[in-house]
Amino acid sequence: MNGGDPAGVAHLYVHLPFCASRCGYCAFVVEVGREDARDDYLGAVLAELGRERAVLGPLRTVYLGGGTPTLMGAERLQALLAAIRPLLAPGAEVTVEANPETVTRGLAGALAAAGVTRVSLGAQSTRPHLLQVLDRRAMPGDAERAAAAIRAAGIPQLSVDLMLAVPGQSGDDLAADLAWVAALGPDHVSWYELEFKEGSAIARGPHRPPGEDLAADLYEQAITGLEALGYRWYELANFALPGAECRHSMAYWHARDYLGLGVGAVSTIRGERRRNAPGLERYMAALAQGAAPPRTHDALDADTLRRERWMLATRLDEPLDIAWAGRPDRPAALDALAARGLVERGEGTVRLTRRGRLLQNAVVQQIMDFA
Amino acid sequence: MDQTHIRNFSIIAHIDHGKSTLADRILQLTGAVSEREMREQVLDSMDLERERGITIKAQAVRVMYTADDGQEYQLNLIDTPGHVDFSYEVSRSLAACEGALLVVDASQGIEAQTLANAYLAIEGDLELVPVLNKIDLPAADPDLHARALADLIGDDPDHVLRISAKTGQGVKDVLEAIVTRMPPPEGDRDAPLRALVFDSVYDQYRGVVAFVRVVDGELRTGQQVRAMATASNFTAEEVGVMSPAMTPIGHLSAGESGYIVTGLKSLVDLRVGDTLTLAGAPAAEPLPGYREAKPMVFCGLFPVDSDEYPDLRDALEKLSLNDASLVWEPETSQALGFGFRCGFLGLLHMDIIRERLEREYDLDLITTTPNVEYEVATTGGDVLEVRSPVDLPSPNHIEHIGEPYVRCTMLVPQDFVGAVMGLCQERRGTFVTMMPIENRQQVVYDMPLAEIVLDFYDQLKSRTRGYASLDYEPIGLRQSPLVKLDILLAGEPVDALSMIVHRDSAYARGKGLVERLKETIPRQMFEVPVQAAIGGKIIARETVKAKRKDVLAKCYGGDISRKRKLLEKQKEGKKRMKHVGNVEVPQEAFLAVLQLDGSSSQ
Repeated sequence: MNGGDPAGVAHLYVHLPFCASRCGYCAFVVEVGREDARDDYLGAVLAELGRERAVLGPLRTVYLGGGTPTLMGAERLQALLAAIRPLLAPGAEVTVEANPETVTRGLAGALAAAGVTRVSLGAQSTRPHLLQVLDRRAMPGDAERAAAAIRAAGIPQLSVDLMLAVPGQSGDDLAADLAWVAALGPDHVSWYELEFKEGSAIARGPHRPPGEDLAADLYEQAITGLEALGYRWYELANFALPGAECRHSMAYWHARDYLGLGVGAVSTIRGERRRNAPGLERYMAALAQGAAPPRTHDALDADTLRRERWMLATRLDEPLDIAWAGRPDRPAALDALAARGLVERGEGTVRLTRRGRLLQNAVVQQIMDFA
Repeated sequence: MDQTHIRNFSIIAHIDHGKSTLADRILQLTGAVSEREMREQVLDSMDLERERGITIKAQAVRVMYTADDGQEYQLNLIDTPGHVDFSYEVSRSLAACEGALLVVDASQGIEAQTLANAYLAIEGDLELVPVLNKIDLPAADPDLHARALADLIGDDPDHVLRISAKTGQGVKDVLEAIVTRMPPPEGDRDAPLRALVFDSVYDQYRGVVAFVRVVDGELRTGQQVRAMATASNFTAEEVGVMSPAMTPIGHLSAGESGYIVTGLKSLVDLRVGDTLTLAGAPAAEPLPGYREAKPMVFCGLFPVDSDEYPDLRDALEKLSLNDASLVWEPETSQALGFGFRCGFLGLLHMDIIRERLEREYDLDLITTTPNVEYEVATTGGDVLEVRSPVDLPSPNHIEHIGEPYVRCTMLVPQDFVGAVMGLCQERRGTFVTMMPIENRQQVVYDMPLAEIVLDFYDQLKSRTRGYASLDYEPIGLRQSPLVKLDILLAGEPVDALSMIVHRDSAYARGKGLVERLKETIPRQMFEVPVQAAIGGKIIARETVKAKRKDVLAKCYGGDISRKRKLLEKQKEGKKRMKHVGNVEVPQEAFLAVLQLDGSSSQ
């Protein structure tokens, strides 16, 4: 069992690294400025798509992430989507990430025309003092205007990204975000805890993450608040109105194969994980010469794949099928966790309880030996 | 050499008052070490000693000195250990001398250690030559300290030498004073051999090397020698002197100091303080003053990773070869698994051994609360030596408990006397006496050794802004109402956290300890009660709250490897935790007991 899909890889991610500025919490592969490189970059991504397209089957999901994909401009996005379009399966989900301040009516219309079905809007917070901590460029009102443009263009699904455990964030701040969600009514919400990643500006700065209790309070407030609005807490950091789950992300959590294109992009195909090296110039140069971009390759053995399936699938609210995921390293731990009310056992399935989900990291470490 | 041209002397000084620098300078000035060979602190051979500025192993170095009278003298510098833990070794080293340099830092003045060793020297009838060192320091106050030093030993302030061992100023006068003021030895060369063993080391190729002072008779290479206390017999494979490297000279006669290669395989066969005599023509009586160096402080040492148990055993065996006062026996803890209960001369000795195990042998160790050895009389009429709280019989089987007491001598600036007396009272001290010395007070208390071995010295330093100095000597056992304090995690007693405490302080200790443990033990997936109990009765409780949130914030295609590796890393981190029942306990928790009651630390 290596996760391979006989009909070919059905999920495609394209990394578009350009950003107007680097946000304080960001540790992704991004390129600030460099607008002169966008044509060459588009050419390189299309060349990489050409090289890899043999592994692809009909695409059920496509995700253009970044970076700030919308900084590519309407025409280049249209060219990219036009190249992908013939590969789509009927009813495919096509998502584009966007920062609120970059979404105009014109851009939204172009995306709609290019077949985009879903826009994920990086709002992060509605509170100006928190946006400032996060180094975000959006101004109050940007997100609402962007949402209106997306809807006016007829793009069926809207998702918004929010953050919690931002230094200085109070329960009142979070309640304001919830009220904003209620008013806006997106189909999907991703609400992430801010991570102090090594290498990010915020980790080097004066702000420190809130303590565990406050972070837990905020997290629980977000969960219960969104549930009260009719959203299902279907993944640890993701909430959806019925039927509006992100199918592309679900593919990750179901440990399916995916192809990643672009600088720094990761693919997992038939038990191999490979990562394009960061470094825009080297990426573009290799493809311009007709070569594969510089990459690392990791063969994932059966135990690693099994542990990853447990790690990923226990993030979901649906029961994990043990026959699919593979045997737990410590079966006895499941009974102990059940006795503590952290998991529920079904016929060949395991499901984390609400409290278990809040402790998913610790729970999965009890069940599996990560080594 | 004629005994009138021999001088055996030691240098007595508080830590950092410059003993080693002066010794180096003497070697240099007498030509025993060339400039080129000169290293800082030639006599301290181990890195750890040099780093801590402490001399652990005494040695004897012979130098030849041509004095102002034109005659050549043989000077034997007998180095002494510089810490209270090794005071027995100090007393034996002093017994090998007729005189001693009493070195005091001219900016700091007399310290408790100086006093203690000066008294030892006076008791041993040594001729003391007072020396003020570091007179080149801007903060030096030689006049003040010279008067105090002279008062201390009943000498004239003008006789106090003023030197800087660092610059070499006045060191020549020190050499002259050794020759002119200190008496020569007075042994009988024709009497049966009696040689005092004042130190010994183990050499992996040559076996035990003994450092001796020949008091009577003569010792030659190849002779059959007997150690009178341990009844070991051996051949003197090599007889020589350190100058400062080992130099065979074939014989040592009355009045001289040097070394003997014995070929013995263990330091246990040749103890410091023993008397060597000839097997064929033994002396009638050994030299006085021998006793076995007894460990005073005990603690459990356990490997964090139980796979390292054999490595720990090997390391202890190796360290024991060169340290007869380190004792150890296997110990099994329910909480910590297999380890060893180790006995040490004192806290410094314990720290040094633990550090060497971790540094030189690369072991990760958990140290349990240090404790002393109690003498427990049971209702059944037995007398038990209890070195671990686990071995304490249940209260209804105890008739009474004797605990070791020490007499603590502290030198304290006037302003801090109140604070120090307060500390001593808190630690069950009994006031003995107080008297002014220089501009300070000498404060003497009798205290339970158990109260000293925890954090007393740190507390003393912190409450006097580092100005107080401490020395102590054992004064025997006293009966005390002691109880065993148990710690329970999630309802289960953790043997490695138990301790023996005075009944009256049990509540405060228990409360302080559970508070500290609460801070040290990370949140678990469930609530963990932390309780202190005496004989099954809970006297204090804290709760480590259950973890509320432990999630990896987000996880998409690009994050999967990173997240998995994060879990792997966290697992690796957990390996350093001990699993006590279901509770994961970090190493530091076992040291929490050392930091004691927060209530009394302010």
